[in-house]
Amino acid sequence: MIVATRLLRDRVWSLLWWSVGMIGLVLLTTAFYPAVKKEGAALNELVQNLPDSVKALMAYDERIPLTSPAGYLNARLFAILAPVLVLVFAIGLGAQAIGGFEEAGLMEPLLANPITRGRVALERYAASVALLVSIVAVLAVASVALAAPFGALEGVSIAGLVGACAAVGCLALLHGSIAFAVGAARGRRAPAIAAAAVVAVTGYLIQSLQSVTDVLDAFRFVNPWHWYLKRNMLVDGVPPEALIGPLAVSAVLFAVGWFVFRRRDLR
Amino acid sequence: MSQRSGRHRGVPAIRAENLTKHFGAIRAVEDLDLTVETGEVFGYLGPNGAGKTTTIRLLMDFLRPTSGSATVLGGVPSDPAVRARIGFLPADLAVDPRYTARDLLDFYGRLRQFRTRTGHDPAWVDSLLQRFDLDPGRRFGELSTGNRRKLGIIQAFAHRPELLILDEPTSGLDPLLQAEFARLIREMTADGATVFLSSHVLPEVEELAGRVAILRRGKLVTVSEVAELRAQARARIEIRLAEPAPPGAFDGVPGVVEARYEDSVIHLVVEGSMDQVIKCAATLTVLRLVTHEADLEEVFLSYYAGDGGGA
Repeated sequence: MIVATRLLRDRVWSLLWWSVGMIGLVLLTTAFYPAVKKEGAALNELVQNLPDSVKALMAYDERIPLTSPAGYLNARLFAILAPVLVLVFAIGLGAQAIGGFEEAGLMEPLLANPITRGRVALERYAASVALLVSIVAVLAVASVALAAPFGALEGVSIAGLVGACAAVGCLALLHGSIAFAVGAARGRRAPAIAAAAVVAVTGYLIQSLQSVTDVLDAFRFVNPWHWYLKRNMLVDGVPPEALIGPLAVSAVLFAVGWFVFRRRDLR
Repeated sequence: MSQRSGRHRGVPAIRAENLTKHFGAIRAVEDLDLTVETGEVFGYLGPNGAGKTTTIRLLMDFLRPTSGSATVLGGVPSDPAVRARIGFLPADLAVDPRYTARDLLDFYGRLRQFRTRTGHDPAWVDSLLQRFDLDPGRRFGELSTGNRRKLGIIQAFAHRPELLILDEPTSGLDPLLQAEFARLIREMTADGATVFLSSHVLPEVEELAGRVAILRRGKLVTVSEVAELRAQARARIEIRLAEPAPPGAFDGVPGVVEARYEDSVIHLVVEGSMDQVIKCAATLTVLRLVTHEADLEEVFLSYYAGDGGGA
């Protein structure tokens, strides 16, 4: 695992800064919970009078008041901020694994050494996944550790919270794998990022428009954002498709990238 | 190290058969047939864009041929066991700017511990760093072009490869280091290594190579001994006389391809042997004889231009 270890060492500092950012985000979210709770009744009334489409965008659930810990954490952290941040992290890694690395001219000198292309693809993908797992672990530990002191853990199961973090990781893995596969096929960074970003934005838009119109209902079963956002995971637990779906798609994307990269010309 | 050459006796270090690479409509390399014998220094010459780097990238398995095949050290270039025995210097080495020279050499050393091979010998790597006067602790991003070039050379030689594939190795090196590089090449070949050296200028290769191939627009124009090329090379001579030059004195003398008579100075262009010219000059009162060294560049340029292609 020489290539994988080298990538991990190259990324240690970047991972550290991302971790600091992630902890900061969780801290900022949980630290404001006591204030939100105090304004409870007024806020709930305000939200209940909002149009349905706006409520959908906030991942609002009639049964779970926004001022309850589960409602608050879900809306503030898990509905958009945490997944977007982890997605950006994963897409960056996926695009760099082969596409960006090759575009910078680093692939040829590496492949002049006694190592196969398949091995390089496998190790760089595996190392990227390890980094993604690390940042998700930071998110999970920070969520549990920082929610408790602000009373934002009442009524939230720890298993549900950790599960939600795992679901964030799986959603990010899927989009990172898109960037990996496109980068492996094209040897360029920009198309890899673009492809992953387009899929992410399209999926999110379809999911948020779904409560307004049922025209797009046909797509919801293949939409990773639907798997992820269909219910409040902090209360109802993680739906299996939010984990299994992205993992299966990611495995296919990795296989495609690996296959194409072994066969094509380097750029 | 003499067992190294014996181990693969009879197997050419590089063999290309009808090797062809097209990029869309661009014919980068066309029907290339080439054999580089084990133990020789082979110059691969051609102007920029002739297909030299494309050939090298085919030999390294970075590109897959459109048709034809390349055999390197008796195997296929995609086999890691083959690449373990190759030292490769790209025309423009890219390294993560955060890596120090030591980082890169350690990383490659670990990768090269392939099967039974031992990777890098630390004493040898340190001696290379010393010979090229490169500080292993500096980051690649802080290195000058010349120092980056040095690191490129060191990483290519660090595992004492049997075959060196070097793309424009000395461009950007000062004359002192070029001499050091030449010494290193001679040491490696004395140990039985084979060297494949590409360049767009002849002097870079002339001193080291036994044979050269000349490539133009993706096609092989000629393969010949450097000595043979040199024999075809033209020398310019200037003969200053004590008396006015007798017109026509050198016309028809074997070897003279061009003669100009100007007051007391005769300008000659001579091809091949100088013998008859000297004998003819002996009949005149010669004050000074100025020769400009045999210039392979001219032979070379005539191939480039295409008018010497049949030679």
